[in-house]
Amino acid sequence: MKTRLFMLATLMSGAMLINGCSSMGVEPWDRDVLAKEEMQLTTDAIEAATDDHIYFSKEASSGGRGFGGGGCGCN
Amino acid sequence: MSDTDKRSITGALAAATCTLLGANAGQPVQAQEDPGWDFNTALLYYGEDDDRVQDLSVSLLARRTFVDDRVLSLGMTADVLTGASPSGALPQGFPQTFTRPSGNDAYGIDANLLPLDDTFRDTRVALTADWQQPLGRLYQVNVGASASREYDYTHFGINGKIARDFKQRNTTLSAGVALARDRLDPVGETPIGLTPMLNVGDLSNRTGAEDKTILDVVFGVTQIISRDLLVQMNYSYSDSSGYLSDPYKLLSVVDGVSGETIAVAQTPGVGGPSHLYLHEHRPEDRAKHSLYTQAKYYMGGKVLDVSYRYMTDDWEIDSHTIDLRYRWPLADKRYIEPHLRFYSQTEAEFYRLSLTDGDPLPAYASADYRLGDFDALTVGAKYGWTTDSGNPMSVRLEFYQQSGNVAAEQLIGSQVNQDNYPDLSAIILQFGYQFGN
Repeated sequence: MKTRLFMLATLMSGAMLINGCSSMGVEPWDRDVLAKEEMQLTTDAIEAATDDHIYFSKEASSGGRGFGGGGCGCN
Repeated sequence: MSDTDKRSITGALAAATCTLLGANAGQPVQAQEDPGWDFNTALLYYGEDDDRVQDLSVSLLARRTFVDDRVLSLGMTADVLTGASPSGALPQGFPQTFTRPSGNDAYGIDANLLPLDDTFRDTRVALTADWQQPLGRLYQVNVGASASREYDYTHFGINGKIARDFKQRNTTLSAGVALARDRLDPVGETPIGLTPMLNVGDLSNRTGAEDKTILDVVFGVTQIISRDLLVQMNYSYSDSSGYLSDPYKLLSVVDGVSGETIAVAQTPGVGGPSHLYLHEHRPEDRAKHSLYTQAKYYMGGKVLDVSYRYMTDDWEIDSHTIDLRYRWPLADKRYIEPHLRFYSQTEAEFYRLSLTDGDPLPAYASADYRLGDFDALTVGAKYGWTTDSGNPMSVRLEFYQQSGNVAAEQLIGSQVNQDNYPDLSAIILQFGYQFGN
């Protein structure tokens, strides 16, 4: 039941997100800020992978930003 | 109410949701790079207090950009791990002895100390490869593979992802799938779940290597909201099946009144457990759902990076993660980036501090603190600068603290007087250096 509610909430918020954001955005020539290295969603791939690995080892959750699958005997 | 009114209200609600989520679609804009190799390297020290886990790790990520925006990435990480890890057995007001996981020896734990298994020592090598390329004008595909090897663990995985841009590349939808097959071949082979720890030399409750399969699916929306604001939202589903227990974790079997672990008769001349301990046993399947959202906001040179993840699974674990980073530019291409991370999880339905002697055995049970109810906090900062040759360098120092919560109704008799949950403090120190092309 909880899983179904979660799926429903996810689908609804996703649909609202797409619909609500349809009027947003910038023109191609206005992307100077977004093109900066510090504005990328992942600025340091190794640091992100390191953190994912540490928290995967010490907590019961993983993934979210990307795939959360195995690769370590630590959990 | 007219249809037009309904539509405008729906649109307003959706826009409000989008704002609340910090959302905005859009492809993460990658700066075009000249063809050539780029290298990203890091040296990590991770150290827990109280002689627990210490990890020294070296990572290298090599990235080759070809014409037409095709990119090859190759990664390698090598870890050296030492230290001790809580076994799951309870501290007691008297000394305890345990058989080592190998079955070849026994070790002792003093009174009132948390039982740690100090045989934990390993090296790990992990490799990744990823190929990314455009497909037509609006699509981008990634295919990748990963493998890792430890003394008792082997991992192989493949993954693929496709993304499509919409609305002048302001919105990007993506879908990815990853499949992993892992093999666990523990020291002393795999103990059968919920069977007692046996004497040194007795491997009669052990089986051979075990496997598990992990399927991950991720759907994402990235939206550019404005010139300064970018938002991503991902839904992930992860299904694990096979052997999901930890072969090195135990549960103490205690007296229902005193709370003390049940003593067992020891054979003279043969090492072995002083008390009754059972090997943990987890379900063979686990399904997790995660919702992740991240926003990046540019504020006149400073960048705020906020993310939130909610996870729920069929082991009844729910977790919330909030991550905040604030990049503050300084003079001469230097910057400082404070980092805060909050994490909170509920316990798995089969998590328990101990088993009670005389009660029927549950189908599944684990005292692994990582499946318990706890909160965690990470506080730290990263400092970055550019060398004279123009290569970025960084150092980050962070502190990680876990604080467990054991429900009062789980405590029996003398357990009230013990520190039963192994709180954890760790330091994370990482140096990064990029060079190439």
